[in-house]
Amino acid sequence: MNKYITLLSTMAVITFQAGAVLAADDAFAKDLKATIALQGMPCSDVADSKRNGDSDYNVSCKDGNRYHVFVNDKGRVIVQKL
Amino acid sequence: MSSQLTTSNSTQPEHAATSSQSSSLSNAQALASSSIAATSTQAVATPDKASSSLDLDSLEQRLRETKAIGVFTKLSLKNQVDDLLSDFRTYYGGKSKLVLSDLRQRYDLLLMKILSLLQDSDTTLAADIRSSREAIWDILRDPKKFAEIS
Repeated sequence: MNKYITLLSTMAVITFQAGAVLAADDAFAKDLKATIALQGMPCSDVADSKRNGDSDYNVSCKDGNRYHVFVNDKGRVIVQKL
Repeated sequence: MSSQLTTSNSTQPEHAATSSQSSSLSNAQALASSSIAATSTQAVATPDKASSSLDLDSLEQRLRETKAIGVFTKLSLKNQVDDLLSDFRTYYGGKSKLVLSDLRQRYDLLLMKILSLLQDSDTTLAADIRSSREAIWDILRDPKKFAEIS
């Protein structure tokens, strides 16, 4: 009985953590999408993002557009089409 | 003027669960959380009939803390607020080809961007910003009031 309880508890924790990570990823994808849109560039939805460094990402959109999104040394958000 | 707002920021990144992202953006968050409210904070410095319709301190704080806008987006908006304020300085310095209606158009567009980001996830804040639109504009369009805050 204790084994079942432990197993169920573990599964619940894993599910909760996975959900939290997915939610955070979704929020970050929306952030990147909005950032790209604010620069007047098209991006239907963010399909993938790769972190290059601090405040520096390569973003792939579902519509095929790819961007380099980063903060330059003057504190400006730059979106460059790749 | 917006730079003075960057000194205090307690807002945590919205994406705290992804450590690599949130840590790398902490500086950006500190910058971004300030200048979206730059114009409203400036309004606090010069209490006015026009600004009485809204608690601008509260507005600034809520913009800092809202989770409806992500870190990069806040920083992008900060850049655009700073650009608009710079345009106003150039305009009042007599060195701009822009006329006031151009600046009003840019101001309206910027507010629309902010409202579009807030309206689904932070409806109360969106409504309060919407209601403060003219109060903030009254400060921006008045060279004396603008000079006091910039």
